[in-house]
Amino acid sequence: MDYDAQLKLQSYLDGELPESEAREIANLLAQDREAVALFAELRNTRQALVGSEVGVALPESREFFWSKIEREIYRLEKSEPAPRPSSVFAAWRRFLMPAGGVAALAIAAFIGLFGGSQGPTHEMAVADPGAFTYHDFSAGTTLVWLTYPAENEFADNFE
Amino acid sequence: MTEKDYSSAEDQKLVRVAQKGDMAAFEELVARHRDKIYARALSMMRNEQEAIDLSQEAWVKGWQRLKQFQGEASFGTWMTRIVINLCLDQLRKQKRQRTESIEAMTEESGGVERHMPVLTVNPTAGLERQELRQRIDRALSQLSYEHRTVLVLHEFEEMEYKQIAKAMECSIGTVMSRLFYARRKLAALLADLKKSD
Repeated sequence: MDYDAQLKLQSYLDGELPESEAREIANLLAQDREAVALFAELRNTRQALVGSEVGVALPESREFFWSKIEREIYRLEKSEPAPRPSSVFAAWRRFLMPAGGVAALAIAAFIGLFGGSQGPTHEMAVADPGAFTYHDFSAGTTLVWLTYPAENEFADNFE
Repeated sequence: MTEKDYSSAEDQKLVRVAQKGDMAAFEELVARHRDKIYARALSMMRNEQEAIDLSQEAWVKGWQRLKQFQGEASFGTWMTRIVINLCLDQLRKQKRQRTESIEAMTEESGGVERHMPVLTVNPTAGLERQELRQRIDRALSQLSYEHRTVLVLHEFEEMEYKQIAKAMECSIGTVMSRLFYARRKLAALLADLKKSD
């Protein structure tokens, strides 16, 4: 009997073999004495284990064991960092971000209105509701202004 | 629910109360299931102190994650899964710290279980439960952690091959081969213990 057949024999014992293969193994067990002996050994080992854990008890009293758990729970709850109060800087940043976005839009609009002689060298795009982009091709600069969500993501990464 | 009612309350009810922050209800759950959780840790770790520490850690984690418990399985099963995962993590750490045994290396490379003679006599026949347990304990202690764990999860937890593969982060084929080796080795060890009587 090869190794594959031995493993199938085990799967048959454990009820993990598909029906088609189970028939094949049932036939093997009807013909092969070696397979019958191996099957019996695997089954005996499995049966020996069943119930061998009965009666295992924690060797500590209910009160003592619980007191350790309770103490650890309290210790961990105390050591959890409390939510940080927002700083003055963070409050200012929250105010300045949208204000800055509005300012960027205003600058872009101003350039668009009064800088017509410069043609297509200036461009303002609002591609994302949370980001303002301003391209100045003549100066070779790009300004991207991010508002709330990005600011929060950045802050979260560093907390 | 008053504290007096806790000893007669069902697990589900205690869980619901404990999820609201009632530690007395949780303490009752600990008292009910602590032996089973400890037994699982002991069967995997084979060390009493480690089993106590890990079952304690499992209960602390159980409290911290209690709000995530939706009741898909019983509370006891859910807690058992927590302690199994903790034991597996601990065993992996220990394995990284020590060199693998020669036996395990032989098993990986040669498949010695394929060539073990088949036992024709049941080595546990006629043994009293206490004696049987002691022998199984001794035999289990001689298996590598991978083989012992696969046996424990399959025979005690009644997990399917695919569930064991997921828990142990290996393939189903590896689970089958480890289980086969573990059973054959265990049978041989039990036979040796019988001979030495």
